[in-house]
Amino acid sequence: MQAAKSFVQAFLKQMLLGIQLSAVSHRSGSLQERKSAIKLSADVAMAVARGSKKWTRGLIASLSKEEQNRSFRQFVLGKDFGRPAKLCHSSWKIPRSKNIVRRSLRFLSKRKSNIRAPNSSVLAGTLVEKRTQVLKRLVPGGESMDGFSLLDETLDYVTCLQAQVDVMQKLMTTLEASKHRADSNAQCPKAKLHLLAMVGSCYSTRKGLWKRLSKRPKLTL
Amino acid sequence: MSSRRPRSWQSSSASRITEEQINDLVSKLQAVLPEARIRRSDRVSAAKVLQETCNYIRSLHREVDDLSERLSELLASTESSSAQAAIIRSLLM
Repeated sequence: MQAAKSFVQAFLKQMLLGIQLSAVSHRSGSLQERKSAIKLSADVAMAVARGSKKWTRGLIASLSKEEQNRSFRQFVLGKDFGRPAKLCHSSWKIPRSKNIVRRSLRFLSKRKSNIRAPNSSVLAGTLVEKRTQVLKRLVPGGESMDGFSLLDETLDYVTCLQAQVDVMQKLMTTLEASKHRADSNAQCPKAKLHLLAMVGSCYSTRKGLWKRLSKRPKLTL
Repeated sequence: MSSRRPRSWQSSSASRITEEQINDLVSKLQAVLPEARIRRSDRVSAAKVLQETCNYIRSLHREVDDLSERLSELLASTESSSAQAAIIRSLLM
């Protein structure tokens, strides 16, 4: 089961925005900080691109709770946490994300009372039950899901994770290729074309950089 | 037959989740796992599917972690201040 094309495009778009934002604040940070920033961008991009699912709400809620992601909270929740010191012009407009974060924070605190309810399953020792418990910890927001929803959300989550890995790999390939670029422009690996097509469809309606670049007469693909 | 499934898999809402729906989800999950092509299409036990899913999710997390690290190294060493412009530029050339 492949992720929808629209998801992949939305993910790439959000990820590029996130990278740009984090580049502004972490230009001289440690490797660990930069890595966390990229990872955060990837996870948020994935959740935002997918829209409203139980696991996306759970993911955004847990990400916004982490101490190191303070600046993320500032960007998303804006005025509630005061203005961040530096804001690049293209602020990270995550549509509906303020509501997603608010709803998911409420969702988590509401669900906590349900978790204490005794596990009525007589078959608590079965293999399936054990595996289900492990899966609940792996899927974001899984703790408060009933078995059937858990399966459904897991399927969706795994599909999105696969797409996330796929896009990041393609991003890596193109960046590496540009670094070790040979003189001949004839080579255009498949991954590069694929990623180019995705970026093209993301930005086809945006003015500015993309339009200027695409108008260059020398451009051959 | 349904005693094999934990009771917690039954939805608490009014609509009854049939065994068939659960089996459908489990087989879909199995199809998504990386070894789906190698394994024959006959049904594998739900416990096995769940275990493989957990392992797969963990490996995907590790992969994202590793890719993040490599991406951050690559992006840090680009001269351009705008990583986005660098990416688009690299795609076009």
